[in-house]
Amino acid sequence: MLSKINKNKIGYFFIAPFVIGFLLFGLYPVYNTIALSFTNATLMKSSSKFVGLLNFQRLFADSTFPTAIKNTWELWLMNFIPQLGIALLLAVWFTSTRLKIKGGGFWRMLFYLPNLMMSATIAALFFSIFSLYGPANQFLVRAGILFEAIDFIRNPQVMRAVVVFIQWWLWFGQTTIILMAAMTSISVSIYEAALVDGSNGWQMFRYITLPLIKPVMIYVLVTSLVGGMQMFDIPMLLTDGRGSPSNSILTNNILMYMKFRSTDGLIGSASAVGVVIFIMTTFVALLIFYVLREKKGEKSKEISS
Amino acid sequence: MKKISIILTVVLVLTMALSACAKTPGEKTVLNVWSFTNEIQTMAIAFEKTHPDVDVVYTMIPMTNGEYQTKLMATLGTDAVPDVVALEAAFVKKYVESDFLADLKSLNADVKKANVYPFVTEVGTYDGVLKALSYQATPGARFYRRSLAKEYFGTDDPVEMQKILGDMDKYVAAAEVVKTKSGGNTYMVSSSGDFMNLFYANRAQPWVVDNTLTVDPMVDKMVATAKTFRDSGYESKATQWTEGWFAGMNDSLKDAAGNPKKIFSYFLPTWGLPYVLSPNATSADKASTTVGDWAMITGPLPYQWGGTWLGVMKESKNLKLAKEFIRFCTLDETNLTNWATGVYTNEYLKAIDPNTPEGQSQAAGDFVGSKVVVEKITKGFDNSTLAQFLGGENSYGAFAAAAPSVNGRLMQGTDDEIQRALNDPLNAYLEGKTTLDQMWTAWKDAVRTQLPDLTIK
Amino acid sequence: MNKNYRISNNIQRFFIYLFLVILLVITVVPVWMMLVNATRSTTQIQQGIGFFPSHYIVSNYKILLSKGLDLPRGFLNSLFISSMVTLITVYFSMLTAYGIVVYEFKGKKFLYNSIIVLVMIPTQLSIIGFYQYMSKIGLSDSYATLILPSIASAGAVFFSKQYLESIMIKDLVDAGRIDGCSELGIFHKIMMPIAAPGAFTLGIFAFVGAWNNFFNAFILITSRAKYTLPMLVQTLRGDVYRHEYGAIYLGLAATVVPIIVIYFLFSRYIVNGISLGAVKE
Repeated sequence: MLSKINKNKIGYFFIAPFVIGFLLFGLYPVYNTIALSFTNATLMKSSSKFVGLLNFQRLFADSTFPTAIKNTWELWLMNFIPQLGIALLLAVWFTSTRLKIKGGGFWRMLFYLPNLMMSATIAALFFSIFSLYGPANQFLVRAGILFEAIDFIRNPQVMRAVVVFIQWWLWFGQTTIILMAAMTSISVSIYEAALVDGSNGWQMFRYITLPLIKPVMIYVLVTSLVGGMQMFDIPMLLTDGRGSPSNSILTNNILMYMKFRSTDGLIGSASAVGVVIFIMTTFVALLIFYVLREKKGEKSKEISS
Repeated sequence: MKKISIILTVVLVLTMALSACAKTPGEKTVLNVWSFTNEIQTMAIAFEKTHPDVDVVYTMIPMTNGEYQTKLMATLGTDAVPDVVALEAAFVKKYVESDFLADLKSLNADVKKANVYPFVTEVGTYDGVLKALSYQATPGARFYRRSLAKEYFGTDDPVEMQKILGDMDKYVAAAEVVKTKSGGNTYMVSSSGDFMNLFYANRAQPWVVDNTLTVDPMVDKMVATAKTFRDSGYESKATQWTEGWFAGMNDSLKDAAGNPKKIFSYFLPTWGLPYVLSPNATSADKASTTVGDWAMITGPLPYQWGGTWLGVMKESKNLKLAKEFIRFCTLDETNLTNWATGVYTNEYLKAIDPNTPEGQSQAAGDFVGSKVVVEKITKGFDNSTLAQFLGGENSYGAFAAAAPSVNGRLMQGTDDEIQRALNDPLNAYLEGKTTLDQMWTAWKDAVRTQLPDLTIK
Repeated sequence: MNKNYRISNNIQRFFIYLFLVILLVITVVPVWMMLVNATRSTTQIQQGIGFFPSHYIVSNYKILLSKGLDLPRGFLNSLFISSMVTLITVYFSMLTAYGIVVYEFKGKKFLYNSIIVLVMIPTQLSIIGFYQYMSKIGLSDSYATLILPSIASAGAVFFSKQYLESIMIKDLVDAGRIDGCSELGIFHKIMMPIAAPGAFTLGIFAFVGAWNNFFNAFILITSRAKYTLPMLVQTLRGDVYRHEYGAIYLGLAATVVPIIVIYFLFSRYIVNGISLGAVKE
C-alpha cells in the first residue's frame, strides 16, 4: 500500500523535464500572445497601452471575421473527412494479415511524400495550372468541355476545391502512418479469435480495431482540428495572401496574419485573433473528448466477447 | 592557495576587460549591412576597397514570406540590430515614417551635388527629414512592339508614338485602334493591372489625409478605364507574372482554343527591361522571338515601380560609418559610375575580397539615381545589347527622359495594403459580379481590417 | 466455402491495388512536376509547367553554386539540428507520457489537460517576442533556441500519451518491478522497445518538421555559417526582380532528397507485431 503511493510520486520525476522546459521556453510565447491581445501594441511603435477588450470588440464587429470562421470550418471538414476515411482504409488494408497487401512500407512512403514538399512550391504549381492561360484551361477548351476559358483563379468554388484538395493531398499520408502505427500494436490473436467466431471484415473493424485505436483516433481528430482551425500556408500562398477571390479562402490565420503584416504591424489586434482561435479550438476539442470518452468497462468487454 | 586563485581571477578579469576596450592595431571596424538581395553586396565589397579598415558583414535575409521585416523588428532594442538596412519600395515608406531610421541630413550637401532625382529623395523623406536614399532610380516606361506600331499607327518612331499616347484619354482611343485594326487579335495591354501604377502615381492627393481614407479622382478614372478595357476587350486578362503575361512578350500567347494573340505593349520600369522583358522575349522552346522589335517611350503618365533604398538604423553603434556607407553607395560619383557601367565584374570584386561568390557582379545598365552620373554615361549605352534589343533605341536615355517628372511626394507607408485591398474587389467588379458600389464597400471593409484606426466614410 | 472466400478475397485485392495505383498517380504527379522543374530553365518555368525533364540541370546547378552557398555546410547544419530535435522530442515526450500513463500522482489530470490545451494555442505571432526573450538570456543566434524548446513539445506528448495508452500493458510494468528493475529502467528496457513503432513515427514527423522549418530559423539565427539547407535555398529568392527559378527548384529538390532517404531508412523500424512477443510473456 505504502509502496504504491511512493511509486506514484516517481511520476513527478518523469514529467519534470517537460515542466522545466516549458517554464523556460514554452511559457513565454503563450504569455506573450495572451498579454498582447489586451493591448494596442504595434510592431512599428515601441510604446503600447492596455486597451482591455477593444481588440476583441473590433474583431467581432468586423464582417470579415464570420467569413473567416465559416471558411476555416468548411475547408477543414471538406478535406478532413475524406482524409480520415482514406487513411483508415489504407491503414486497415496494409495491416490486415488476411488481405496480404504487399509492399505496405513502399506505398506508405510514397503517400507521405507530399508532406515533405514545401507549401510554397505546391501552391505555385496549382496557381500555374489553373491560371487563365494555363494548362487546365487549355485542356478543357480544346477537349470541348468548356466553351471558353474560365478564370479559375477568380472563381471561389474552384479555388476552395483546390485548397481542399491540396490539404488532403498533403496530409492523408501522415494520417495513414499514424493510424498504422496504432493498428500494428493490436495483437493478431484477437482478430484470429474473432474470425473463428465468424465475424466479417466490417465487424472486426467496427468492434475490435476502432475501439482499440480510440486513443490514437482522438489524437488524429484533435490535431487535425487544431491544424484545420489554423489553416494558413496553402490558402495564403495560393492566391494573393488575402483570401481572394472574394475572401473565399480567407481563413482565421490569414485574418490574423493580415493584421500582423499590416503597415503598423498590429500585433495586439492579431494576438486577439489568435486568442479567439484558441478558445474556439479548445471548445470543440473538449466536445470531441467528451463524445469519445472511455465509458467504464467498455474496453475489456469488447475484448472478452 | 585560495588567495592565489583569487588574485589570478582578478588579473584575468581585468585583462579581459582591458582588451575589450582597447582595439588592437589592424583590427577592423565591423559594419553590419542587411539586405534582401545580393545586389548591394557588390557595393559592400567595393566599399572595403576604399575603406580598408572596415569589414562589412553582409547578411541576406529573403523577404518572400516576410522573414526580412520580421527579423528586423525582432532585433530592435537588442545587440543584433544592423547598422545599414535595405528597404524595398513596397515597405520603404513605412520605415521612413517610423522612428527607427536615423536622420541623414549630413548627406544633404552630397545629395545636391549628385543632383539626385527628386522622387528618389521624396520617397526617403518624411516630415522634412531625410532618412533613406537610393543608388538607383526606377522610373517606368511603356514598351511597345515596333512592327505592330507600324501596322496600326503607321509609325514606330518613339517621338511620334509619345505624341499618339501622350495622355490617358489618347491611350484609350489608341486601344480601340489596335483592336479594330487587328480584328481583335491584338490586345493593347496584358491586363489592367499593368497600368494601375500609372494612375496611382499621378493622383493629386495621397490615400490618407488627416487620418481619413481619401479616394482621389484618378483612382475613379483608373477603375473606369479598367472597366472600359475589360468590356471592350482591349486586354488579354493575363495578369502580371503569370504564364500568359510572359507568353505575350515573345508572341507565343494563345488563347485556350489555340488561337494566337498578340500584346501590343507592356508597362515596365528600369529593371523590367533586363530582367523581365529581355529574357522572356524569346520563348522557352526558342520557337518565337521578338528581340529587336521593341521600343520604349515614357508613356501616357510618368510613374515609378520598385527600387531599393538604404537607411541607417538609429540604434546603430556606428552611425558615422553607416552614413558614410550610404553616401558611398548612393551619392558617390565614382561608385555610381562603376556600378552603372559594369566595372564591378567578378574579377574586380575578387581582387578586393577573394571570398566573393562566383556569380557576384553587376552588369552594366542599372539606372542610377544621380542625374550627374546619368548624363555623363548615357551616351555610352548607344550600342549596348539592350539598345539592340530596342531596335537601336538607347534605353538609358529614354529612362533619363522619364525620370524627372515622376512624383514621389504622395507615397505613404499604408499605400501598399490600401492598394492591394482594391485588387480583388476590382476584379469582381470587372467580371460583372458586383456593382461599383459593392466594390467600394468591399474594399473599405478590407482596409478597415488592417487599418482599424483610419476614418473610413 | 474456402474457395469462395479466396476468390472474393482476390477480387477485393484487385480492386484495392487498382485504388492504390490511382491514389499513387494523384500523389506523385505534383511531386514529379516540381522535381522536373529542377531540370528546366527559369524562362521555361515562368512560361508554363512541364511534365518532361529538360536539360538545364547542369546550368541550374552552376547558378546554385555561383551564389556562394555553402550547401554541404547547410546540409550538415540541418542534419545536426533535425537529429537533435528528433532525439530530444521523442525521448522527452515519451518520458513525460510514460509518467502520465503509468503513475497516478496528484495534479496529473490537470497537467495533462493543460498540455492538450497548449497544443491549441497559435504561436506564430510570438516569434518576435521569443527572439527578444532569448536575446535577453544570451541565446541570440544560437542553435539552442531551435533545439531546447523541443524538451517541452505539447503535441509530441499528446501523441505519445495517446499512443502509449493504446499499447500499454500494465502487467509488464509490474513484471519489471518484480524483476528488480528501477522505474527508469523499466521505461528504457521494457516500454521503449514496445513503443518503437510509435517512437519512430513520432521521430520521422519531428525530423521532417525540424528540417523544413526555415521561417523561425531565419528569425532566430543570424550568422550565414549557421544557416540550414532550406534557409540557404530560400536566399535564392533574394534577387527580388530576378528569381532564378531553375536553381531554386534544384535547391528545393536537394532539400527534399535527404529527408526521403532518412524516412526510407527508418520506416522499416515501424514493424508489425512487435508487441506480440511481449504479450505472450
